[in-house]
Amino acid sequence: MKRAWWQRLLLSAWMRPILLIVILLVLWDLAIRLFRIPPYLIPAPEAVVKQLYLEWPKLWRESLITTYATLGGFALSIAFGIPMALMIAYSRTVESFVYPLLVFSQSVPKIAIAPLFVVWFGFGIIPKVICAFMLGFFPIVVSTVMGFKSVEPDMIDLARSMKASRLATFLRISLPQALPSIFAGLKVSVTLAVVGAVVGEFVGSNSGIGYLLQIANGNFDLPLMFAALTVLSGIGVLLFVAVDVVERLMIPWHASQRNDFTATA
Amino acid sequence: MTMKRFTLSAAAIAFALASGAALAQAKDKVVLLLNWYTYSEHAPFYLGKERGYFDQEGIDLDIQEGRGSGVTVQAVAAGTATFGYADVPTMIKAASKGAPVTAVGVALQTSPMSVMGFADKNIRKPEDIKGKTVAVTPGDSMSQIWPLFLKKTNLKDTDFKTVAGDAQTKLNAVTNNQADLLLGYVMDQAIKLQDATQKQVYPIRFADYGVNMVSSGIIAQKDFLKQKPDVAKRFMRAATRSLEEAAKNPEAAVDAMLKAQPKSGVKDTALVGMKQTAALYKGPDNPNDRPFRVGAKNMDETMTLLVDYGGLDKATAGKASDYYTNDYLP
Repeated sequence: MKRAWWQRLLLSAWMRPILLIVILLVLWDLAIRLFRIPPYLIPAPEAVVKQLYLEWPKLWRESLITTYATLGGFALSIAFGIPMALMIAYSRTVESFVYPLLVFSQSVPKIAIAPLFVVWFGFGIIPKVICAFMLGFFPIVVSTVMGFKSVEPDMIDLARSMKASRLATFLRISLPQALPSIFAGLKVSVTLAVVGAVVGEFVGSNSGIGYLLQIANGNFDLPLMFAALTVLSGIGVLLFVAVDVVERLMIPWHASQRNDFTATA
Repeated sequence: MTMKRFTLSAAAIAFALASGAALAQAKDKVVLLLNWYTYSEHAPFYLGKERGYFDQEGIDLDIQEGRGSGVTVQAVAAGTATFGYADVPTMIKAASKGAPVTAVGVALQTSPMSVMGFADKNIRKPEDIKGKTVAVTPGDSMSQIWPLFLKKTNLKDTDFKTVAGDAQTKLNAVTNNQADLLLGYVMDQAIKLQDATQKQVYPIRFADYGVNMVSSGIIAQKDFLKQKPDVAKRFMRAATRSLEEAAKNPEAAVDAMLKAQPKSGVKDTALVGMKQTAALYKGPDNPNDRPFRVGAKNMDETMTLLVDYGGLDKATAGKASDYYTNDYLP
């Protein structure tokens, strides 16, 4: 049976989240009208959309700055996280020394020590990048370690029996098998890095979405605050999608990528 | 009415002698939500509670620490707290956006806002700020009035460097020499800096350069005031007594505060802070009034400043009298 064009449009993969957003917006608006929630507690969606439109140049400018800090932190997370995970995965000694400490460090609330980053690294982009890094690198380490540890030993034995060098075994067998887990970690990491960058901006910065949030808060400008939060979530989604695209390109053979398009048909 | 109240409470006391629990039953439970974690400015309320001023008015007072004036205003507007101790200009901004709150008494009628640094840096006049670095918190009340101070003192914002951060970052920046000055309250940040470093702090007060604006006060929900005017009056009577007594006897106030909240400060500097707080209880236009009673001119000036500099929308601002009342004061 062939569906009408609008049915296909409504059910297409990229329409579904948009549809859900629209439904949520309507519910939000209804809740405000039904329960008479005053605007100083929760703003109406139309007020947020209006601010989003009016303040767009400013929001755009500040969101670029937050994005730079996020990407900086994410890059650092990869640069530190993956080598560290490799060492942990391949050496029991390193694992026993480092892993517990890593978990310990992750339980420290970043917001509590973030003010110190400003003291140590000054004002500017560095404390933000470090905040993003602190939040972003742990999921990368955990999932990369898991990825390399769950490589099938039989495959490695097979490669060895065929006299493959260690490097070749790593590049041909271990790395490809670990990549899906690594990407799972990267996706979590990039969204957390956005949060980290904003925490950094909250604590000490002259610019960025976090700075804008502080000003909006000070003026009881809740619509602007929600608009800034919307933009922030947008950054998170875009970066997530970007990692997803890279994943598709790098591991098109993986089960998680294979059925993506047919599943929604 | 007072006669009736007297006979009522006399009856209550007689009854209480027979059963102790009854007295607690008869009292009105009141939550006072502060603007911030406890520091010297709040000592009078702890004194009043310890001395039983609130008890005597039939009020069972519970003092809770806050996380910023904005949150306190929202909590009072939503009915989560009975009264709030908050920055009145912040409340005015929230009220102009529809929050049903009003100020029933203004405690600090001369502005405690100042720009301060360590005394050994010798920054004592506005001209000395040139070439220095100033730490501010974006969006807070001080950062909004700061441009007016600059205008009144013929400074430009290019004369110095600005760094921005939250409340703690400001203190850290000055403590660690990343900034020479910060925008803060004379009895709050100045004391915290002294406690942390044992160094003298010199504040340049905005009020000394013609920038005056009311500051902290007691706020309440409008509906609550309509429904229970009598609780509000009794509360404000006890609060007024507390401020008067704390001004006369700052040491007792600080002791009461440190007894209730041992982590809220160090006695010597908290005492300095309490004395500085008491010095702000009177406004420029009403030197003989009792605490909390604010002058109309003072409030009008505050409104003008808020509209011109403080981000208050002129179209929805209204008049000063929409935002405060002296009706519940003794």
